[in-house]
Amino acid sequence: MKLTKFQQEMLDGKHGEAKKFCMDKLTDFGEAVEAKEMVDLSLVLCGCPIYSKNPRDPKTLEKLNAYDIGHSRLYDPIFAMKDAHVADETGTVCGGDPYFVQFDKVNETGYPWNFEIPGKGSFKVDNEMFQGLKAGYDKQMEHGWLPWSSCNPYLNTRIPKMGEYCASSESSAACYINTVLGARSNRESPVNTTYAAYTGCMPKYGTHLDENRAAKCIVEIDDEVRDNLKGMADWGALGACIANKAENRIMAVLNLPITKMSAGATKNLISCASPGMNDPMLHLMGITPESPTLEAAFKGKMPKNPERFKVTMEDITEMYRYLNSLAPAPGPDGAKPVDVVIIGCPHATLDEVREVARLVKGRKVKPGVLLWVQTDTPTYFMAHHYGDAKIIEDAGGKIYHQTCMAFNPFRHYPKNLTVATSSFKYVKLCAGFGAEGTTWIYANPVALVDAAVNGVFKPTARWDYWSQPKEKRLASESVQPLYDGSLPMVS
Amino acid sequence: MAQTLTVEAPKGEKVVLTGIARSKGKAAGEAMVFSHRFGWAFNHVGNEDGKILTAGWDHHGESVEGKIVVYPTVTGSTSGAISLYYKVKQSKHGPKAIICREIFPFDISGAIAAEIPAVDKCDQDPITTIKTGDWVEIDAPKAGQKATVTITRKAE
Repeated sequence: MKLTKFQQEMLDGKHGEAKKFCMDKLTDFGEAVEAKEMVDLSLVLCGCPIYSKNPRDPKTLEKLNAYDIGHSRLYDPIFAMKDAHVADETGTVCGGDPYFVQFDKVNETGYPWNFEIPGKGSFKVDNEMFQGLKAGYDKQMEHGWLPWSSCNPYLNTRIPKMGEYCASSESSAACYINTVLGARSNRESPVNTTYAAYTGCMPKYGTHLDENRAAKCIVEIDDEVRDNLKGMADWGALGACIANKAENRIMAVLNLPITKMSAGATKNLISCASPGMNDPMLHLMGITPESPTLEAAFKGKMPKNPERFKVTMEDITEMYRYLNSLAPAPGPDGAKPVDVVIIGCPHATLDEVREVARLVKGRKVKPGVLLWVQTDTPTYFMAHHYGDAKIIEDAGGKIYHQTCMAFNPFRHYPKNLTVATSSFKYVKLCAGFGAEGTTWIYANPVALVDAAVNGVFKPTARWDYWSQPKEKRLASESVQPLYDGSLPMVS
Repeated sequence: MAQTLTVEAPKGEKVVLTGIARSKGKAAGEAMVFSHRFGWAFNHVGNEDGKILTAGWDHHGESVEGKIVVYPTVTGSTSGAISLYYKVKQSKHGPKAIICREIFPFDISGAIAAEIPAVDKCDQDPITTIKTGDWVEIDAPKAGQKATVTITRKAE
């Protein structure tokens, strides 16, 4: 691998022990992926470790088994080095994914780290693990990490531009960076992002390279889909359908309703990158900066008749059915009891927070049901400033930052919880995970907020309409008023 | 890892595959083959017990501990890299090695951190050639270079 003068100096130890240590590790990886050079990074998105004094102590190890995603011990040698500092002085902005508590509310109840559900049980974060996380967080701050604890710093903290390189362990962020911003990131290993934060550079490979960003097929959105997507879960389902059709290949997406895609809609759409597909890149025609034409999306290698797939409303409703069948919630259709309603994986954008506030305003969450809205730090404070947080809290819901429910020791939650969400990632990644008997409902915020208020999940009339067989659906148009006059039912 | 090679392999038909080492090392153990994309993240394979948690996956409820795990390529979270590292190095419920059709880069970095061999791009499809329960020996001296995978069929 060819290194620049500065990179070679780091490897030689001229810029301190930590940079040398991290360059050694990244060079090993670079050889394994046959990289020829390194790129400078503008953004590193990694994770905060649990900094534990005695990680080998059997009692501590037992707790770490439940709380540590696995990255914490990677930091030990770096934290032991006196001169360690991230590469912020050379322009690399570094921060981490959410973890398991909002630091200033660790003892407050009704949150993912501390709650009780009558009849089901309770959960409270372990104090030793909390202290360990706080110690890791403080140490990271000392080293120059920004404490954003968020999935989407690309929206409001460090916004990468076309041509820049990033290293994001958060898949949805990597996909947004590639797809919407035109900068370049792999779905990076948190092992590598730990080291890359200190070096500010990493091997150029994978999605950094033009040849690995090329579209291989076309996915076309049916007009009926384009004109009728309404809810955040619709966008997640659409992303999942696009990924399914392309079978883990990068695709060019045609016919998106570009003018109707809010920040939240776009984020939910591209969040299909994990777990729907491996390469964090979609060419959304009309949006993706490097793809003004199909030819450009295929990087000049478009075959005469590229494989072409279509996503229809039937695909979307089938995706809803599939996601609701992975760990199906018990109870009668139209009245499935829910315990937790959660919005914000990846972290909710301001428009998602405002939608929940709008839906829940003046209503009350049913006692015993938890309504959770998780977001990033800037959005959390914006929501407080603009009044949305108060509306959610007045209704009995919770809004919090720095945290993700799934980064809590979810397997140690009370058994038999039913969790309802608008997050494709949550359902796809967590079905089967969690305490015994945990079940999942996938739905739009309208139905989710109703479920939080009523304590039971009932699909909306809109779902009843769209989930019918197509002929029946079209026939019903002549005798029944439309569910909603704001958009054409059939284009 | 050299120690494990002294275990006597069961008698049976032998097949040798040649692939590319992505993480160096030697290992020997029983194969656990997944027909579908697979991921190491804590939500798929428990960090605390190495058990397959994901509904609908092959070997659901079984542990990966001490196995040579064979799968087409990754699915799911990038945290697979660190969860693999954790299972091998911390909780000790990890695999001995991994073999993929095409290994995804973050699994490479997890295997390097865990100091277990990882091999891909074999000259025969590992998913159909290797059967669960076969005895597999891996010799992968250097990342980016040739690696051999010796399969001894499980006695019927």
